[in-house]
Amino acid sequence: MKREYSIIGKPTGNVDGAAKTTGEAKYCFDMSLPNQLYGKHLRSPYAHARILSIDTSEAEKLQGVKAIITGKDVPGGKWGLWRRFRELCDQIALADDKVRFIGEPVACVAATTKDIAEQAIELINVEYEPLPGVFDPLEAIKDDAPLVHDDFENNINATRHIEWGNVDEGFAQADYTREDKFTCFPQAVASMEVHNSLASYDKGSKRLTVWSSTQSPYYLQLGLADALKMREGDIRVIKPHVGGGFGGKNSTMPDSTSAALLSMKTGRPVKIVFNREEEFISTEHRTGMHVALKIGLKKDGKIVARECKVITDGGAYTGLGATALYLSGIFQTFPYKIPNYRYDAFRTYTNKVWATSVRGFGATPTVYCAESQLDRAAKDLGIDPLQIRKMNVMEPGYEAPGQYKVDSCGIMPCIEKMEKRIKEKWPKVEENEGIGFSAFAYMSGGIFNWIDTPYAYSGARVQVNIDGTVDLFTQASDIGQGHNTVSVMICAEELGIGMEDIRLHPADTATTPVDLGAWGSRETLMNGNAIKMAAGQIKQKLVDLARAKLGENIAYDLVAKDKRIYLELRPERGFSYYDIVRDAIKLNDGEPLIGTGHYTPHNKGMISPAYGMGIMAIKAKVDKEIGHIEPQGVLIVHDCGQEINPLGARGQVEGSVHMGLGYCLCEDMPNDNGMLLNPSMNDYKIVRQRDMPQIELMDVPTYEAEGPFGAKEAAEATIAPTAPALANAVFAATGAEFDSNVLKPEKVLKAIRAAEAKKAQKK
Amino acid sequence: MATWYKCPVCRKLSREHHDLARHYLGQTNKEHKDWLKKVGLSYAELITMQVTEFGNKGYDALAEVLKKEAQEVEVDVK
Repeated sequence: MKREYSIIGKPTGNVDGAAKTTGEAKYCFDMSLPNQLYGKHLRSPYAHARILSIDTSEAEKLQGVKAIITGKDVPGGKWGLWRRFRELCDQIALADDKVRFIGEPVACVAATTKDIAEQAIELINVEYEPLPGVFDPLEAIKDDAPLVHDDFENNINATRHIEWGNVDEGFAQADYTREDKFTCFPQAVASMEVHNSLASYDKGSKRLTVWSSTQSPYYLQLGLADALKMREGDIRVIKPHVGGGFGGKNSTMPDSTSAALLSMKTGRPVKIVFNREEEFISTEHRTGMHVALKIGLKKDGKIVARECKVITDGGAYTGLGATALYLSGIFQTFPYKIPNYRYDAFRTYTNKVWATSVRGFGATPTVYCAESQLDRAAKDLGIDPLQIRKMNVMEPGYEAPGQYKVDSCGIMPCIEKMEKRIKEKWPKVEENEGIGFSAFAYMSGGIFNWIDTPYAYSGARVQVNIDGTVDLFTQASDIGQGHNTVSVMICAEELGIGMEDIRLHPADTATTPVDLGAWGSRETLMNGNAIKMAAGQIKQKLVDLARAKLGENIAYDLVAKDKRIYLELRPERGFSYYDIVRDAIKLNDGEPLIGTGHYTPHNKGMISPAYGMGIMAIKAKVDKEIGHIEPQGVLIVHDCGQEINPLGARGQVEGSVHMGLGYCLCEDMPNDNGMLLNPSMNDYKIVRQRDMPQIELMDVPTYEAEGPFGAKEAAEATIAPTAPALANAVFAATGAEFDSNVLKPEKVLKAIRAAEAKKAQKK
Repeated sequence: MATWYKCPVCRKLSREHHDLARHYLGQTNKEHKDWLKKVGLSYAELITMQVTEFGNKGYDALAEVLKKEAQEVEVDVK
């Protein structure tokens, strides 16, 4: 049944768009408080070293310096996002006994100006005893490797084994098997807004308020409570507008812990803003990994078995890296029916800044490997790349034993639509041009509760006032992805009112119901459900009152739409929304109408309540003389259920493709014994706007019963297929096979030469 | 009743030696690794085998040792 909505599904400008484009929107970066101090960290020059002593006496003498803290001033213990497994809560506010990566903070100064704070850190004398370090995961697991954390033998931080079916039997039945090894390099987050926090401690009430550029006020509140040994309720976290997170702002980081500690020590507000170099060397990035992949197929292209081995370069701490390890084993199986599957993965500690969740986390590296391998297998078997995908894709109701179940699933219609459109748009390719494909799928938030929250995963509260205006309270985080707009659209649609009737109160732990934050594309489905439930409670009250006033048969349905509540089949019989609200509040003893909603997924497997999916095609031209790849166009067919805001989804798709192209072509983090060699925007190469190809986005609407109005994940999924679709386009054009991402010209040339040599040998 | 196998270090019970080996290599604490040394195996070598070679070579090697070392426990599976 086609559903008609007033607001849902209509391209809608962001509710905060005008404020952002005119510069009126306030980010934490823009904020300051009276009497504020500025904090600056002293960072380790060593990748691994014991701290023998820290002398702050000279720095303390500098005029304007108000406080200096070191690891000894941190009252709490370690913290982390894996609170369910306390041994994985390994982060610390300031290095105490030893440093584990270059750039790790060892001390922090609060001073009256930024310049004084910077001068002061130069006066702190730290005596180190350098230790041997480990920088590669395969080195890290050796018996004689130095230990990054003494309690973790062989530097193994986390392990994962996933298996279903009978893999060995599956391979035995295969007509064709293929093994490939890959190295996936890490990728920086590179948000426009760097990590920054402003903390203000009130010594009288012993309460702390922190404004921070975070993806999850709740996670930050928990992290600060652990680091500072305070009750969660005594810490208020407020998230102003955020200039990008992409996964790098889930963890509690030293900008907030040090600002809080210094504010507690001085009794004055303290602000800490990382500079771009600090952002590169000391904040989280996408996980680098070695991947070994084996696939077995029947002659007709049916996949019968897959095996994957992964060892990841985790860096010095856990972050969300252990989750990425698990999901790397899951999303490479999507959107295919793989009857026999085995995944072994190990995450190692190394002496580098740590790796975590980054846009499309758990999907981007291993999907690159799996989709590249699938095209090579298709070529060997003489099967068209789209046909081999059609032969293996999931259907609605598909279940991977013990792992996940997929309800709404539009992947087959997506591929069929792509087949048709490809013929129209790119009927033929010229010499040195190729078209590559990659299928994709991604979660609508994670079911896994490693944070161990006792709260519902998402909550919302809706208050309707006497004039019909609505106050919507939710801790969900808009980090630039447009969730504020989606929240208001869902609330307005459910109540049948206009978006202008709603005032949103987002992301303040003191005033809004808990939400786990913006990661894994969770906000639309999870927070959307909570909002719909809260608004739905009020709608029910209004509908009941209208029904009573109309004196109609109980079987007649009423709807709330276009600011009226009326009989669905006789729209002339009804009332103005505003009139009904006034009457309802009078009947409520004068209290505004309050609705509360919450959402936690149940009976949906281990991974996610729903999955967005689709297929991407990229056409690329390769210059065989210089190894330059030019992406010429991108076609995407996306099943994201019912789109809430098509304009927002399109923006997010463009962002995902942009980041995916960077992952494929140029974003590289070269490292020399723990030292990042390109920690600046001059040297870290991001795809420029003018180099972006045209993106054509098509939609296959499905209805996801678990999501608000049928919605599920949209857009984040499209980062993972970008690199393999482009690499597959180069493969189609030249036969070049790549064993890693970051396809710089020298790598492309080498692969083309190898392909030519292989071809000549066959002749 | 069915025969299950007990981890030599902790209380974990598995239906097969192979599953017990999977459990074992998933443990990152010193106690588990010390026992491996005692029976002449290297955690690093087993992990390297498991993660860099296709198949289940790391688990297989450990499962062979566990066949001799793991205590059998009768479990009521009803």
